[in-house]
Amino acid sequence: MTAERDLPAEKETLLDSAACALMQTSADGMFLRVNRTFCSWLGRTSADLVGKRRFQDLLTMGGRIFHQTHWAPLLHMQGSLSEVKLEVLHADGTTIPMIFNAIGVERDGVLIHELAAFVARDRDRYEQELLRSRKRLEELVAEATRLRDDAKERALSAEQMMGIVSHDLRNPLSSIMMASALLAGGELSASEQRFVSKITRASERANRLIGDMLDFTQARLGGGLSVSLGPIDLHAAVSESLDELRLAHAGRALLHVQSGDGTCVADASRLEQLVGNLISNAVAYGQPDVPITVTSAVEPASCVISVHNAGAPIPPVTLATIFRPMTRGAAAGSANRSVGLGLFIVREIALRHGGDAFVTSTAEGGTTFRVSFPRA
Amino acid sequence: MSVQHRNHVQVSGTGAATMFFAHGFGCDQNMWRLLEPTYAKRYRTVMFDHVGSGQSDLTAFDKDKYGSLQGYADDVLEIVREFGEGPALFVGHSVSAMIGMLANLKDPSRFAAQIMIGPSPCYINDGDYVGGFTRKDIDSLLETLESNYLGWSSNMAPTIMGAPDQPELGVELINSFCRTDPEIAKHFARVTFLSDVRSELRKLTTPTLIVQCSDDFIAPLTVGEYLRSALPRSTLSVIENVGHCPHLSSPSRSANAIDDFLAKEGL
Repeated sequence: MTAERDLPAEKETLLDSAACALMQTSADGMFLRVNRTFCSWLGRTSADLVGKRRFQDLLTMGGRIFHQTHWAPLLHMQGSLSEVKLEVLHADGTTIPMIFNAIGVERDGVLIHELAAFVARDRDRYEQELLRSRKRLEELVAEATRLRDDAKERALSAEQMMGIVSHDLRNPLSSIMMASALLAGGELSASEQRFVSKITRASERANRLIGDMLDFTQARLGGGLSVSLGPIDLHAAVSESLDELRLAHAGRALLHVQSGDGTCVADASRLEQLVGNLISNAVAYGQPDVPITVTSAVEPASCVISVHNAGAPIPPVTLATIFRPMTRGAAAGSANRSVGLGLFIVREIALRHGGDAFVTSTAEGGTTFRVSFPRA
Repeated sequence: MSVQHRNHVQVSGTGAATMFFAHGFGCDQNMWRLLEPTYAKRYRTVMFDHVGSGQSDLTAFDKDKYGSLQGYADDVLEIVREFGEGPALFVGHSVSAMIGMLANLKDPSRFAAQIMIGPSPCYINDGDYVGGFTRKDIDSLLETLESNYLGWSSNMAPTIMGAPDQPELGVELINSFCRTDPEIAKHFARVTFLSDVRSELRKLTTPTLIVQCSDDFIAPLTVGEYLRSALPRSTLSVIENVGHCPHLSSPSRSANAIDDFLAKEGL
């Protein structure tokens, strides 16, 4: 007789009505002793269990597999385990979630298992709730990822479509331009002349818009705008483009301020395009009776082109996103209205020169767009 | 990434042949600690953890690759090729018995013997075939795994009680026993218990030992008998043991069965 088996009645009572379930089983799981708490929680009697049932017989199928694949080997290897949650079968057929601790101990030279358990209904509910939330969250994340991928794909195909359409519009448009040039050279009445020059101007504008759209798609999909850098004279390039722009914007004063020696490495035709876009912008949004000032400055290490116009400042909200494609100012709707790619292309050209584009705009100082890039 | 690191491969022992030990679902290579030392005296021994278990590299876990037993079998073949010297004697517990068979079928020349401990080619009942489980039982297992999420994801270390009877186990080792990522455990459970490799059995030409426990809830006697009749060169050895892990609960009976078989095969 060991001391444990020969329990004083008081101690026996304490264990029997302990605030947790207590069990002893053989290494095979056969119940050797169970306390009253365990029996009453499960609606069973000690006589039903001891020597008749094994611990694993009271588990769900999943619990029994788990018992064989996790519980038993672990108890073998480390001699104890803790906090295992299993559903235990009540005599009435329902299951009760319980949390178990177990140890392997030797009694009279025989290995037995001692188990303690308590009912964990609330914890179980809480955990189920957590699991459900986690699942829901996972579903939402999956949905969000799917939507984002969809949106990306749609944006991509829209941009591709834009590239294709712009490209295809070029051929019919050049036929129109060629035909109107031929017409303009013939004998025309005054009103016919007016119509032809209208056709010419409109098709030139359409051609510029198409050019912008092609540049946009190239910048977005083609790995960046193409530039061919070579030695140029910055002042001459800006001056030439201003000459053409004065024709296009008759009635607006365009001043050119130069500083420093003009030699640098850049793409002259891209810079002309850049100046053209900035001037269109200044004409569209600037105060008409104040001259637009274009400055070209070549410093020892960098080149700067800036375009200034007077007038109402650009609202801060617009300022923050002004170089993004399809951002348009309040004056959109005027004759010079574009698809909103001009400033995006300005910045792309600056980036391709290793530089960047900036803007400042105040009520007192007016608006200045400034592009700077390394001189060589 | 090296195979050694990926599968936490541990080599010891010396001998003319190499004995490989592959753990089943729910545990890791620590399962072999009562059996492997016996064989390290006669053979070179190789133990490892399947990716997702024990101390394998969890970053190597790939749901698609390990979506079938073949993914695990491909790893086994890599391990056998890299760490084997001489003929391979492959000891696989539970699902790993079948993983070992699939590896064997890809390159039979490497293998001299297949030792299957508590094997089952299909856990789910199917017509006349009695695997012992239904699909609902497996769902119930997944639920049980899920509700033990907290414990199994951190550790099952006996911090409260210690392991007083087993002072030889370092604390570090105890802490790593059977620890798994709960998501991976669920995935492995599904792949294991929904596997069906019955159609492959007749292709195995290597001598095979089926170590069948007298009372095993996971792999019942009828499954052992089914395997015996389906595997062309197999021996069925039924040992007195309750439970699915005789290499832990009856190591000497397991070793006797294995030794008899190896002696008969001249290995």
